[in-house]
Amino acid sequence: MQFMFAALKLELGDTLYYLLIFAALLLLVKHFAWGPVTKMMEERRQKVISDLDQAESDRKKAELLANQREAALKDSKQEATQILSTAKSNAEKTKNNIISQADQEAAAIRKRASEDAAQAKTDALNEARDQVADISVAIAEKVISKNLSAADQKDLVDQFIKGLND
Amino acid sequence: MNEKSVVVNVFGLNFNVTNCLGGTLVAIAVFFLVWYLGRNVSLKPNKKQNLLEYMIDFTNGIVKDNVADVDAQKHLSLYAFTLFMFIFFMNQLGLFFEFSINDHILVKSPTANPLITMTMAMMTLLLSYNFGVQRFGAKGYFANYAKPVGFLLPINIIEEFTNFLTLSLRLYGNIYAGEVLLTLIGNRFAKSAGWFTVIASVPLTLIWQGFSVFIGSIQAYVFVTLSMVYIGKKVTEE
Repeated sequence: MQFMFAALKLELGDTLYYLLIFAALLLLVKHFAWGPVTKMMEERRQKVISDLDQAESDRKKAELLANQREAALKDSKQEATQILSTAKSNAEKTKNNIISQADQEAAAIRKRASEDAAQAKTDALNEARDQVADISVAIAEKVISKNLSAADQKDLVDQFIKGLND
Repeated sequence: MNEKSVVVNVFGLNFNVTNCLGGTLVAIAVFFLVWYLGRNVSLKPNKKQNLLEYMIDFTNGIVKDNVADVDAQKHLSLYAFTLFMFIFFMNQLGLFFEFSINDHILVKSPTANPLITMTMAMMTLLLSYNFGVQRFGAKGYFANYAKPVGFLLPINIIEEFTNFLTLSLRLYGNIYAGEVLLTLIGNRFAKSAGWFTVIASVPLTLIWQGFSVFIGSIQAYVFVTLSMVYIGKKVTEE
């Protein structure tokens, strides 16, 4: 104990000096390191908070957009189905139209063809009849040229023609 | 430890040059360390800034754990940080650096001197009174001594003195003992029996220095923690 107090001599100047030096250190540290660093730490804290908020709102927005897109996709799918079915029914209708039209045309063509055929037949018959008459007349002429006079022949032909007219 | 200190008398006040030199060195070292670490602060921290922020977070943690009052926390964090750095480096100073001329020691751990630790403790306790009066007013502050029950008044008053003594002498005792043992190993033991003890003293010194670094760190932490406990007690209602 004696050694301790002897060494001390109560150096109160040291107390004063240490208080001053500590105060100076406090101010210097505050100005050169503490201030900027704590300010930056606070700024970072605020940034983290705002970033988290931003991320949250972004996530919500993205979710909303995804929902919208999904709904749009579903709508478009429905629309596509509708379009497809409309097109299908249109095509069916057109097909039926074309078929019936073709049928009608075919029927008309067939009818005209049969009419033409009948006409041709009639024409041919008429022509053939004329020719047969002429030929038979010619044959008959040749057969009976020696036996009949011109007057008889004329009678005969007239009778024949009369018979034809009946 | 038996070297004499250099004492000069200025304006009737005794200045111990050893202590003043040590404190100045430590203050300069602490300042340049934090200045270097916190030179280019940015939002995306580099390694130096990370270290400084880690230290700040460490002392802020001490303050937050022991002071409930949020308003006082804000004012105390800088004090706790500077106090921790200052005492930590004062504790370590004498471990690797002892400088003496003609039996007059010039540089050693300032905290191995009770007067210096008492100065630190006094500073802390005066600050705690200041915070207490600021928080409750002079009347409320003195009324707090008789809380929670009246008969604790003498105990609470005595506690102020014991706080002061335990806070300062704990730090002083630890660091002083460390330096005494270091000197004993280095001076007495090494020179006691020729070359054998000289060689044996090397690992012993090494081990004890390592342990003293540990003690110095723990004591700095304890000092700051107890300072915050005492201040925190003054600013909270019992």
